[in-house]
Amino acid sequence: MAEKRITLRTTRFDPDKDKAPRLQSYDIPFSDESMVVLDALNHIKSHVDGSLSYRWSCRMGICGSCGMMVNGIPKLTCNAFLRDYWPRSITVEPLSNFPIVRDLVIDMEDFMHKLKSIKPWIIRKQEYPLGAGEHRQTTDQIDEFRQFSECINCMLCYAACPVYGLNNEFLGPAATALARRYNLDSRDQGIKERLPVIADAEGVWECSFVGECSVVCPKGVDPAKAIQQTKLDTTMRFVLPYGNREE
Amino acid sequence: MVKAGAESSSPSSAPRVFKPQMARGWWLRQRHYFLYIVREFTAVPLALWLLWLLYEIQRASTGPKGYYPPSSPAFVVFSVIVLGFALYHSYTFLSLAGVIINIKLFDKPIPSRVIVLSQFAAWFVASAVIAAVLIGFAR
Repeated sequence: MAEKRITLRTTRFDPDKDKAPRLQSYDIPFSDESMVVLDALNHIKSHVDGSLSYRWSCRMGICGSCGMMVNGIPKLTCNAFLRDYWPRSITVEPLSNFPIVRDLVIDMEDFMHKLKSIKPWIIRKQEYPLGAGEHRQTTDQIDEFRQFSECINCMLCYAACPVYGLNNEFLGPAATALARRYNLDSRDQGIKERLPVIADAEGVWECSFVGECSVVCPKGVDPAKAIQQTKLDTTMRFVLPYGNREE
Repeated sequence: MVKAGAESSSPSSAPRVFKPQMARGWWLRQRHYFLYIVREFTAVPLALWLLWLLYEIQRASTGPKGYYPPSSPAFVVFSVIVLGFALYHSYTFLSLAGVIINIKLFDKPIPSRVIVLSQFAAWFVASAVIAAVLIGFAR
């Protein structure tokens, strides 16, 4: 019986040689039904072309490193099974809307800057002394922000967002979801420090609710919900008497 | 997104990167993007129709003699199309209310489905009231 095979077309871009990215085809054995696109890339790197560059780490949908466009859809390649595509070929490209550094590797600098700008840590006006014990939370208080804390910063939502693609100044889905995660945390008191960034014209108000960010999220986070609820919250703070109060 | 243009930058201090640009037809690539654009576009003919309505109201302020409501078949067809756009836009807007509105009742969040249904119910009641007022004036 002939060996089962599958064709991968991957983006190649050498900044020292190429003017623009191109696609290169690789015909590789599809030996195991549990193979994912990342396995196929690893096979190419190990047995066919060692110069192929891409990011990956955990291979189990936790680290968020291996996000790429698989047949035009942003996916974690460790969670994209070859069996779902075979016998058709698979096109693997770097995440959309980001500058390409080499092959399938994108420049994450803009995202890291945006992530830092929303201060994704618990801000206290005054820290309790350690001896005062832990900040206790009820289950309901944790449920308020839990889903937004599941984000693994894989940036698939940015690759799916046409608003970010058209305007890179937009704060974007993941950063806003993370800002909401901390703003909803009963231990946090930093909403006023985050408001200038999230309520800015390039913050939540740039979003026109395409909603694709929530569709592609591999962890079930709903960044579109975070953005729309932040719009409502910031409006209420502005409109209602005492809405801008210190909290 | 589809890469539409080759734009490279090579500042001396940073590695050279390729900056992709979105193709003009990006919204035709996926059904979700296409429906999003349709949703946004429906506001344009709706705005045009409302501008015409404001103009008619302004003309009516001069009395019955200055008011000539258009009744050509083309305008009726345009109005029916705009009504379809208005209904679609309203449907998408109200359906998304469940995502946006986060209200608690007795410390428990109200389910999204209840919020959406209440929005549609309010829409129906408001439409019925406006229709009753207009029909009452017409008699």
